[in-house]
Amino acid sequence: MKRIFIDPGKCDGCMNCSLACMNAHRAAPVPGTAPDPGATVEEQSVYTLDLTDPTNEARNFIHADGKGGYLPLFCRHCARPECVSSCMSGALQRDQAAGQVRYDPEKCAACFMCVMNCPYGLPKPDQLTRSKVVKCDFCVRLAAGPSCVRACPTGALWIEEVAADTPDLEDVK
Amino acid sequence: MNQKFSCTTCRNADAPLGAFIADLPMETAHHRMESQSVKCGFGLQGVCCRLCANGPCRITPKAPRGVCGANADTIVTRNFLRAVASGSGCYIHIVENTALNLKNTALALSAHGGELKGLNALNRLGEIFGITAADPNKKAVAVAEAVLADLHKPEYEKMELVERLAYPMRYKRWRELGILPGGAKGEVFHGVVKCSTNLSSDPVDMLLACLRLGISTGIYGLTLTNLLNDVLLGEPELRFAPVGLRVIDPDYINIMITGHQHSMFVHLQDRLTDPDVKALAVKAGAKGFKLVGCTCVGQDLQLRGAHYTEVFDGHAGNNYTSEAILATGAIDAVLSEFNCTLPGIEPICDALRIKQICIDPVAKKANAELKEFRFADRERLSTEIIEEVVEAYKARRHKVKLRLCAGHGNDNTLTGVSEVSLKKFLGGNWQPLIDLIVAGKIKGVAGVVGCSNLTAGGHDVLSVDLTKELIARDILVLTAGCSSGGIENCGLMTPEAADLAGPGLKDVCKKLGIPPVLNFGPCLAIGRLEIVATELAEALDVDLPQLPLVLSAAQWLEEQALADGAFALALGLPLHLGLPPFVTGSPLACKVLCEDMKQLTGGQVIINPDAKATADILEDIISEKRTALGI
Amino acid sequence: MKHVIIGVGAAGVAAAKTIRNLRPDDEIVCISTDREVHSRCMLHHYISGGRSLESLNFAPDGLFESPRLTWLGGVTVKRIDAAAGLVHTDSGGPVSYGRLLIATGAVSAVPPVGALRTAKNVFGLRDIADAKAIAQAASGGRRAVVVGAGFVGLDAACGLLELGGKVTVVGTADSVLPQQLDEHAAAVYQARFEAHGCAFRLGAGASGTESDPAGKVTAVLLGSGERLPCDFVVAATGVRPAVDWVRESGIEAERAVKVDEGMRTSAPDVYAAGDVTGLSGIWPNAVKQGEVAARNMCGQSAVYDDTYALKNTVNFYGLQTLSVGNLAPAGNDLVLTREDNARYEKLVIRDGVVKGVLLQGDIGNSGFWQYLIKNKIDVSGHLDNIWRLSYTRFYGLEENGEYRYAAAATV
Repeated sequence: MKRIFIDPGKCDGCMNCSLACMNAHRAAPVPGTAPDPGATVEEQSVYTLDLTDPTNEARNFIHADGKGGYLPLFCRHCARPECVSSCMSGALQRDQAAGQVRYDPEKCAACFMCVMNCPYGLPKPDQLTRSKVVKCDFCVRLAAGPSCVRACPTGALWIEEVAADTPDLEDVK
Repeated sequence: MNQKFSCTTCRNADAPLGAFIADLPMETAHHRMESQSVKCGFGLQGVCCRLCANGPCRITPKAPRGVCGANADTIVTRNFLRAVASGSGCYIHIVENTALNLKNTALALSAHGGELKGLNALNRLGEIFGITAADPNKKAVAVAEAVLADLHKPEYEKMELVERLAYPMRYKRWRELGILPGGAKGEVFHGVVKCSTNLSSDPVDMLLACLRLGISTGIYGLTLTNLLNDVLLGEPELRFAPVGLRVIDPDYINIMITGHQHSMFVHLQDRLTDPDVKALAVKAGAKGFKLVGCTCVGQDLQLRGAHYTEVFDGHAGNNYTSEAILATGAIDAVLSEFNCTLPGIEPICDALRIKQICIDPVAKKANAELKEFRFADRERLSTEIIEEVVEAYKARRHKVKLRLCAGHGNDNTLTGVSEVSLKKFLGGNWQPLIDLIVAGKIKGVAGVVGCSNLTAGGHDVLSVDLTKELIARDILVLTAGCSSGGIENCGLMTPEAADLAGPGLKDVCKKLGIPPVLNFGPCLAIGRLEIVATELAEALDVDLPQLPLVLSAAQWLEEQALADGAFALALGLPLHLGLPPFVTGSPLACKVLCEDMKQLTGGQVIINPDAKATADILEDIISEKRTALGI
Repeated sequence: MKHVIIGVGAAGVAAAKTIRNLRPDDEIVCISTDREVHSRCMLHHYISGGRSLESLNFAPDGLFESPRLTWLGGVTVKRIDAAAGLVHTDSGGPVSYGRLLIATGAVSAVPPVGALRTAKNVFGLRDIADAKAIAQAASGGRRAVVVGAGFVGLDAACGLLELGGKVTVVGTADSVLPQQLDEHAAAVYQARFEAHGCAFRLGAGASGTESDPAGKVTAVLLGSGERLPCDFVVAATGVRPAVDWVRESGIEAERAVKVDEGMRTSAPDVYAAGDVTGLSGIWPNAVKQGEVAARNMCGQSAVYDDTYALKNTVNFYGLQTLSVGNLAPAGNDLVLTREDNARYEKLVIRDGVVKGVLLQGDIGNSGFWQYLIKNKIDVSGHLDNIWRLSYTRFYGLEENGEYRYAAAATV
């Protein structure tokens, strides 16, 4: 499986990753409408991204470390995902082959046990309707892979191949 | 759940103000700090360049140059020069308007009879300028015209008053460095051109341009604005006055004034106490009109408050207090002419039905009515403004809930301090102060100037903490700018604050009945601090960098502050900043500003976010200078 | 290896999924009384008509259609013969197993008050059959009394209110959700329910009933003396593990099936997970138990050590709350609260360790609190900025890129 790797020391807090995430998850363009006529999701320009659209939240978070540095919080698509364990609707499932935690908003019952159960605090209810979970989807729709990684100007984010499961991984406490 | 907007307000040196803001049902800048807490590192370091279509270019280890080839030094200094030029433009705009208003007033007085308020100030200026006209009004016109003529010179013609106003040793050094400014507006123009796309790339040359802008900003925008205002509005006189939200009296129709150009309010503030106008207020159900001071124009009014006791309620607070002042509900209108008029007041004005009027188009607020001040139209404009304010009062007061904060601030802040009033207080010369410094009762003098920002520890946090640290070390603190507003609301300008000073300074304050922090008023009054410094240097026959004098713009906020800072560096003074001015991406810029400047002008930049550490550094510098002076 | 799993609730499905992933070639047989896989936590959405029966299915798509997996739905287990490795059911012959998981859950525990245990119009809310029965009862009469103001009680009330019912919730505590909320946070939910037409009788439980000749409860009597006429009753008064036949099969059980830390029962190759073990009543823990049992059934060595169960989220009428740990302060506990127009938040801290957190209104990105509480992480170095705390203060990375808590290092 592929995982987004993070070198916090290289993060400059520019939040390009957050913008890229929003851009990848904005509503699909209406064909023939300005300003990106006919663009696919992948082609939509950040120039036309509505930065104040409350329905479009970034799924990654950059925190200041209080010492002048930054700590990027990105979904790890854990081998033993606590969000999936807590999901009572089946909306969150881990695709074992791809090593990715998938979310099906149609199945989700908005209990938000996943929000409570992620030890790293990644999932959140959507800010507008609070009826869906906002969580990284690894940009599965995009052939080029996760947009955040491609948008990072400092090399703080990259993709690496890791073992799909870690059966000997010590149980998460 | 309650009515509070959110629990995320930032820290505040002023605890009652912090509590007041935290309880508000509306959003303020203090609430927005949390959601803006992650800053782009490229922006912070000044290495994001948006000067061309290839941008934004940002500097990383793998990309040490922008597409054009500019390295971090070029990008940083271009951005920095742009900011300094812009800030200088702001102050030059202020002095230009002030000179124009003085000229027009004097012409009107000549035609219709009458006398200017500050004849002594006029005579002093006449002496400096070499203008000897016998008739005061004619003299004032000549003085104002001399200033305007300099401002309007092209960049390639040096301004004439610089040599008359500057300390000779400084003037000599500036000439040696080739940084004597041409026409001040031309300098701004020149600076803006220099840093445009693919023009200058020489970082040192651009930093020297900043110093030129600093000199024109300081001598004209700061120093002369004060001196011209002294003629027009009356000189500062020492007195004790109430400060903080407590000054707001809901029985009156209250107008919050904010900006930097006191001379634009002359006509209106006089009209507000005329019987016919007061009658309008009484008819509407109020006792009369009051001006509530906010930001630097409020400081300026406070400074000259002895002349305006009837119409002026007092200074309520600085830039990041403005939202709280409006949130009291007792303000009926905002009259603004410049910064620091935060966009954040607009939704509050909307929600509380507060009328917003701008009188200078350079600071047109989105939902304010523009009533551009033109001297010839002053009668009509004042009448219209008064009518609209009365209408606003009538339409809103019965609908809006008051949320007063009578416990905020204090009743006995010493104000009215200027280079003239302070010297007069000391007996007509600086010798008593010099004696105290020589004797070590006062180790040195620190100017804590500039703004408040919310990032350097929180609202007024670093300014107040640093001031406390400095006075505890027997360093006399002089303030100018929004720092004054925060420090006075925290009580450090009351005589009781002497107890917070070190033994030497405390003793001096107790004997004289003064606070250990002296408030010179608006940021413009940095020019007054410079006059004090110059006169001290003159008395000792040394150059400015030799004085045990330091400056701190601990919570500098804006481009204007950077232009002020450039003046401080040109004067050869150590200048502390709580936050770096977006230059740390350039090792060269840092070296020039923090190290090489000592050789160039004698000045230096010290960047430190910690109050105690900064006070240690500044105390060391003062000690070194004392040692060098043999005291 | 042949794995037999009894029950298709949270633990059973988690176990089936885990075994399927770990041992794709092993045979799995699931046996359940339920004919449909359904999430108990969503039954109120079924009552209200907000979700269809199919949409209550929480199992991964295709799990029950996967090769070498058989599901015997509508089949009830009667007895286990552990010595022979056989499961006896109410239909067909015995089913043999190599490893067996008992994940039969719990049944509603109705108190012996009046005719609550016996009347035909008193329903628990435990499974789809209950939900169907309640929905049907609601179509015949509008007036419902819900006995119990905990999670299940409010779920039921919420579903019935959606249908336009006239609902009265009876609770013994003085506020709703007393296990999860303090009174302040509870009052907000109560007000929202009341705004939707719900009535509450709190602080006095049901003390009796009145019935008609047909054996239907027609009124619930309260300790206060009040009489609440009703068309039917939902008894949301708790559950008890479904252990009757387990005990009869010679497997050690008292109130619940006894298991060790690897979810093994007293019988060899027989495991138990979920509510039947009585270890915890919440979904994530049942899943964890199912996963641990499954790993051990597959020959791994797994331990159920994430036993922390004082955690829940509440979501009614657009208001979310996270509640973890113990919110009742004791001794010198530091209690911090803050509140604005959209949030109420509370922290209970004892000796530098967070004992409880309650976040009402905005629960986004708050999962780290559970970790801090259950692992007793010292936060005394963060008290100045406690409301801004996040995982980043404990940031650490594994070699494989996963996060880990570098707690001690950064405090």
